[in-house]
Amino acid sequence: MNEAELIRGLCSGEEAAFKELVTTYQDRVYNTAIGIVQNAEDAEDVAQEVFIQVYRSIHNFKGESKLSTWLYRIATTRSLDLLRSRKSKKRFGLIQRLFGDSAEPLYEIPDFNHPGVKLDNKENAAKLFKAISQLPENQKIAFTLHKLEDLSYQEVSEIMKTTMAAVESLMHRARLNLKKILEKESG
Amino acid sequence: MHTGQNRKTDEILNSLDGFSRAAAPDLFYTRLKAKMLGQLEKGGEIAIPDQRAWALRPVYAVAALVMVLVVNSFVLLQKNKGGATNSINDTETFQSIAAEYSINDNNGLYDLNQDK
Repeated sequence: MNEAELIRGLCSGEEAAFKELVTTYQDRVYNTAIGIVQNAEDAEDVAQEVFIQVYRSIHNFKGESKLSTWLYRIATTRSLDLLRSRKSKKRFGLIQRLFGDSAEPLYEIPDFNHPGVKLDNKENAAKLFKAISQLPENQKIAFTLHKLEDLSYQEVSEIMKTTMAAVESLMHRARLNLKKILEKESG
Repeated sequence: MHTGQNRKTDEILNSLDGFSRAAAPDLFYTRLKAKMLGQLEKGGEIAIPDQRAWALRPVYAVAALVMVLVVNSFVLLQKNKGGATNSINDTETFQSIAAEYSINDNNGLYDLNQDK
């Protein structure tokens, strides 16, 4: 089934088309989500939400970009939404603690071990992921898509709806920031 | 010292070399389908287009119902307050209309049994 047939099938609500979409793109969507949210369960939730959104809004897909570009865009947006809600929960938890309303411990992200990292790199990769989580949103998305999904700057720029030069600049700043964070943390 | 730290930082930055993509968990599609069916059973959210879904949210439905009840009660209260005056006014209006079109005593004209 090519992309046009797949979209046609999805528009007419064929289950076979939906199953093909999921099996074709599930790893890309999951890998993007896990790179950003840095938690396996949350990443699965995000990936599921991405496919549910695609199922709901396939009629709005105008075919101006590739289906994969659209999926990556939804995956990154959903992942960022989850991070924002996590942040606001953390802030709310802090306020509750200030007023003594809650004795619940604050939600802290433990060190994240990406399942795709080589065994000898695990320790260093965990440090890198911790640093990535401190990057500004745009830099985080550009870095994740380029490094974890191995997408070209051109593809990243289409997903982020920006220019290639802007992606190059985001990547450059991301690297500088990561260096700064890592140097600061190693003392 | 500095070079040592730089080398360590570079090592960390390059730790994703040889990285392979994380695969979605087993039975991902089965679990996704179960989630979608669950959402459908809860309130048919999946089948509802995004643009109109808000109108069917319980909070809006209840608000609309409350508004209708408030407007109804207000109208009924107003009507009860001025009920007596209104009935007098209504009678006067009917009488003036009847007088204007001379239909007060004309019932006899249409009485078909009159000749019998």
